[in-house]
Amino acid sequence: MADDLAVELEGITKRFPGVVANSDIHLTVRTGEVHAVCGENGAGKSTLMKILYGMLQPDEGTIKVNGRPVRLRNPSDAIKVGVGMVHQHFMLADNLSVLENIVLGAEGLHGIGAKARKEVAELARRTGLTADLDIALEYLGVADRQRVEIVKVLYRGARIVILDEPTAVLVPQEVDDLFETVRQMRDDGFTFIFISHKLDEVRAIADTITVIRRGTTVGTADPKTTSSRQLAEMMVGSELPSPETRESTVTDTAVLTVSGLRLAEPGSARAVLDDIDLVVHSGEVLGIAGVEGNGQTELVETIMGMRRATAGSITLSGKDITKLGTLARREAGIGYIAEDRTRHGLLLTQPLWANRMLGYQTREPVSRGQWLDIAGAKRDTQRIVEAYDVRTPGIDVAAAALSGGNQQKLVVGRELSGDPKLLIASHPTRGVDVGAQALIWDHIRQARAAGLAVLLISADLDELIGLSDRIVVMLRGRLVSEEDPATVTAEDLGCAMTGTAPREATK
Amino acid sequence: MRRSRVTTLAAVALTGALALAGCAKDTGGGSTPPAGGNQAESCKKNPVPTGGSGSAAGSTSAGPKVDASALKVGLAYDIGGRGDASFNDSAAAGLDKAKADMGLKETKELTAAPNEPEDAKQSRLRQLAQEGFNPIIAVGFAYAKSVEAVATQFPNTKFAVVDDDTVKLPNVTGLVFAEEQGSFLVGVAAVYKSKNCHVGFVGGVNVPLIQKFQAGFEQGVKAASNDAKIEAEYITPAGDFTGFQDPAKGNVVAAGEISRGADVIYQAAGASGKGVFEAAKSKNALAIGVDSDQYNQKTVENSRDVIITSMLKRVDVAVYDYVRAVAGNTLASLPKRFDLKADGVGYATSGGKIDDIKATLDAYKQQIIDGKITVSDKPSN
Amino acid sequence: MRTTLRGKLLPPVLAIVFSVLLCTIALVISGDNPLDAFGAMIGQLFRGTTAVDTLNSGAVYYLAGLAVAIGFQMNLFNIGVEGQYRFAAVIAAIIGGEIVLPPGIHTLVIIIVAVVAGSFYALIPALLKVYRGVSEVISTIMLNAIAIGLIAYLVSTDAFGVQVGNNIGTRPIEESGWMPGIPFGDNGTLFGFVFVAALVGFGYWVLLNRTRFGFELKASGESPTAATAGGVDARKMIMTAMLLSGGVAGLTALPELLGRDHEYLQTSPAGYGFAGIAVALLGRNHPGGIALGAVLWAFLDKSAVSLDNVGVPQEITTIMQGAIVLSVVIAYEIVRRMELAAEQRRVGRQLGRDTSDVAAGGSV
Repeated sequence: MADDLAVELEGITKRFPGVVANSDIHLTVRTGEVHAVCGENGAGKSTLMKILYGMLQPDEGTIKVNGRPVRLRNPSDAIKVGVGMVHQHFMLADNLSVLENIVLGAEGLHGIGAKARKEVAELARRTGLTADLDIALEYLGVADRQRVEIVKVLYRGARIVILDEPTAVLVPQEVDDLFETVRQMRDDGFTFIFISHKLDEVRAIADTITVIRRGTTVGTADPKTTSSRQLAEMMVGSELPSPETRESTVTDTAVLTVSGLRLAEPGSARAVLDDIDLVVHSGEVLGIAGVEGNGQTELVETIMGMRRATAGSITLSGKDITKLGTLARREAGIGYIAEDRTRHGLLLTQPLWANRMLGYQTREPVSRGQWLDIAGAKRDTQRIVEAYDVRTPGIDVAAAALSGGNQQKLVVGRELSGDPKLLIASHPTRGVDVGAQALIWDHIRQARAAGLAVLLISADLDELIGLSDRIVVMLRGRLVSEEDPATVTAEDLGCAMTGTAPREATK
Repeated sequence: MRRSRVTTLAAVALTGALALAGCAKDTGGGSTPPAGGNQAESCKKNPVPTGGSGSAAGSTSAGPKVDASALKVGLAYDIGGRGDASFNDSAAAGLDKAKADMGLKETKELTAAPNEPEDAKQSRLRQLAQEGFNPIIAVGFAYAKSVEAVATQFPNTKFAVVDDDTVKLPNVTGLVFAEEQGSFLVGVAAVYKSKNCHVGFVGGVNVPLIQKFQAGFEQGVKAASNDAKIEAEYITPAGDFTGFQDPAKGNVVAAGEISRGADVIYQAAGASGKGVFEAAKSKNALAIGVDSDQYNQKTVENSRDVIITSMLKRVDVAVYDYVRAVAGNTLASLPKRFDLKADGVGYATSGGKIDDIKATLDAYKQQIIDGKITVSDKPSN
Repeated sequence: MRTTLRGKLLPPVLAIVFSVLLCTIALVISGDNPLDAFGAMIGQLFRGTTAVDTLNSGAVYYLAGLAVAIGFQMNLFNIGVEGQYRFAAVIAAIIGGEIVLPPGIHTLVIIIVAVVAGSFYALIPALLKVYRGVSEVISTIMLNAIAIGLIAYLVSTDAFGVQVGNNIGTRPIEESGWMPGIPFGDNGTLFGFVFVAALVGFGYWVLLNRTRFGFELKASGESPTAATAGGVDARKMIMTAMLLSGGVAGLTALPELLGRDHEYLQTSPAGYGFAGIAVALLGRNHPGGIALGAVLWAFLDKSAVSLDNVGVPQEITTIMQGAIVLSVVIAYEIVRRMELAAEQRRVGRQLGRDTSDVAAGGSV
């Protein structure tokens, strides 16, 4: 039965008032296989999956599930034919228990009593969800939350599961565990569609790979016979970039000095940041490795002045900025690439030129005194669009119309335009296509060579190792060890990040 | 204020020689009170005044026949308009009577909207004036400034304002009432019908106009008995006019007064009065209506058996008399204030619940008409 | 996405058409002739003072609408414009009535007092929100209720009130404190404050579109997180926006106070602040849109008197106002979708070209 077709997408076309959509996509997924869909961000993977999950309707093309043509007007239509989706951003309620999260919205299937519990317990066993079903979701780690999402989908009867960038939030060990579960379930007859742009992972898990570029299918590959490099070249259609930093430009001029920084959690004695000391020098990239939720976000936001430190001091080029507000810190010479550009980096409904002003509203060329200089802002936005290859129909379109990679290029362009001394780059290439990634790395490297100090936070260990001059590992709010990117491997880092092989803390 | 009232009372007591007779007559309280009989609890009454002779009342409706068929009368109501079961309706009744009695043919009635600005009132009056209506009667003191503005613009049109006499123009007549005099009488009636010697007043909104009702009522109560206790409350403070339109709040306020011991409640609260009557009915108390003869009013029919009387404010009489005076060109003869003497205020007897004390009430009435009792229009504190 | 002129104008036109239809139905059911009604509404503009009155009231609604819109720009729902304008009106009337200054200066002082009083009354919810996290919706609703009591006290004879007949009001402002208007003879007098209101509207536009503060305000409204990351101090913005909103709210009653009434009576109308919310919605927070919305609202208000005069229930204007506000929201949504579809078709055509490029240059 292995050759039964679970999903057939024929000539799918979807038009958007933006830059990227789907155009004549063909995708064939066999029952009981793990089928990877690869492509740069903005290539149209997410759009395609939203179409398959009924969240969007295609303008043209047909969808067949298990051989029958279907019309999916909404996710419940998709669930009815056995298609479920685990989103990149979990859709769970923190204050409900695991069981409640799973049953919520599907009470009609097995009720909410013992029968539902039995069903959920069985699915949890299958998917390796070991957490107590009655504890509140907020106590679960990221990996467990992901399992909850998977159980949720299965509980609703899905046999075909779409996993949208499932490894983005996991550390290497957790990725292995996830893959193990996926393999087992595949053997039980489930079909997986696996969205990713991490090629090593794709090759490790997929039985078949379909590559999408610029909204259309480029081809299908067999992971056993195709190298990561070949795959990547299919995705970009050109030579691949590499994050490696060639020669050191580190100087001994300290730009950012953080000492004894402590941030107490509101209403609790626990410290989110505990006695953090670090120095970033001019021309240096300091990487911070860590599993998400170990204080990186808080560290960045404290340095940016968005949170108030409980104790400790922050100095920028010899000037104490501990008491300054965010704007004053930015004016003092900090550029900031936020980890979530849609929440912290952009005004989505505003045109690109208005986004150029955000964070720079007090400075030339976008303002003069209390007055905005709109012409200046437009001119400089045009410059960024050209210099950073932001693909957009114009600078008057809303930021939301751009794909993730192009949004990020705009943000990076903006944050490097204010002549910063320090750049805080939080996941600068997350959810960004390979082309944009290379460009962003390039610009960071250039600025570093010109003397910029960079504090880099990333979950992409290759990026960390490739770009950083030094790497410190953050665990439970503390800096626990320092690694040399020249010698450390992703696996070593992963161990240090999870605290499985604790090393001496640096000072 | 207090002092002058006390001296008045002293004077009354002195002049009233045959005090005991009144007292003896009145221990027999309510005719058919909802609960209990007439216990000995009731107040020690002050002597009922005598003197004067029942001659002065009712000066208006008689007289030569007047033909008003040539007049075009415009009426500008306050919020609520015809059908509000309150003073707009009372004005409408006067107009209807004028139509029936004096052959008045052409009339136009317009109504104010809630929260309208000054220019809307002016436009309304101006429209009437431009269409040739003369006289134009504005119902409610809120029209005072608008009438002043428009009357200046139309000097040949005659205007009247109900409840206001501040406009000093030759073509404007103020139709104001001595609400405190009528309220005095129902205050007396309240004491005579109270078993606990404890009465209450519920005002709609705490404004000077309603304070006149309170003032008269309190003086009447004190005149009838020095022992009587009075509860006086308003549903809303000045500025919040919902107090005239909120029966639920009226019910709560009245119920509060009743629970503190008051057993006859006088309401001057517009449409909120319905709630006052309901509270009285459900708590076995009695109530006194206001403005029109509420015993006969459809909207409060369910609670009519607790309504012992109503303080009548005869807007209908004022409107009728005004139209008649304009038609007969006798404006100068209109009373300055529609008081007891002019039959502009009074009390209702429908339902027969105060027939037993009518003589007492009329004695007080005569005292007021004769000027032997003066009723202040300001509450004592 | 930029909205086209059609996208801006079509919704209100649709909304008006829809509400006219709705009112026609209501009129036919109630047995009145819709043509008479609409004829009276149009006809009133050419008779008496209605046209001028409409502009005068329009200025009042415009100021209230702007006050609400300032809050809307950063997702602050200042329901308290009602309480703020009334509080400011009473304070301004009291002080204006108590003092006598040379003409011009007297007027200016009254205006400043009104702005300060309005801001002060908005300061309370602003402080509560910034330091205690109290929703401004709740606190301003409560403060509206408190304002009623406060005003009742202030105009009472125990405080600053003067009784005239059965009415109580503040002491009338001397002529030196009035603001002269433009007389049109029998057609009424256009308040001088109409021009002040227009000026405030222009200032609002400049503030929003040409100043740093306006940018920060809009940024905070669109995305508080992005604004914070961009160095916008959220607390300061809330404070400033509320104070500004309250200050403009404070002007609301001044056209009538300085141009006609010269005193604040206990019977002075309430509700302009609530109408301001509707007007801001009608105008989509745009200064031009709010102006049109304000005049439309005022026109419908005036129609009540004219309709009553031809025997049509004046409540029809309330139906119309309600229907317009509701349908304008719906109409904007419909037009937005139409525009989206149109843009999709346009981008689709562009994309057709793009994909052919890809196909030509693509390699597998």
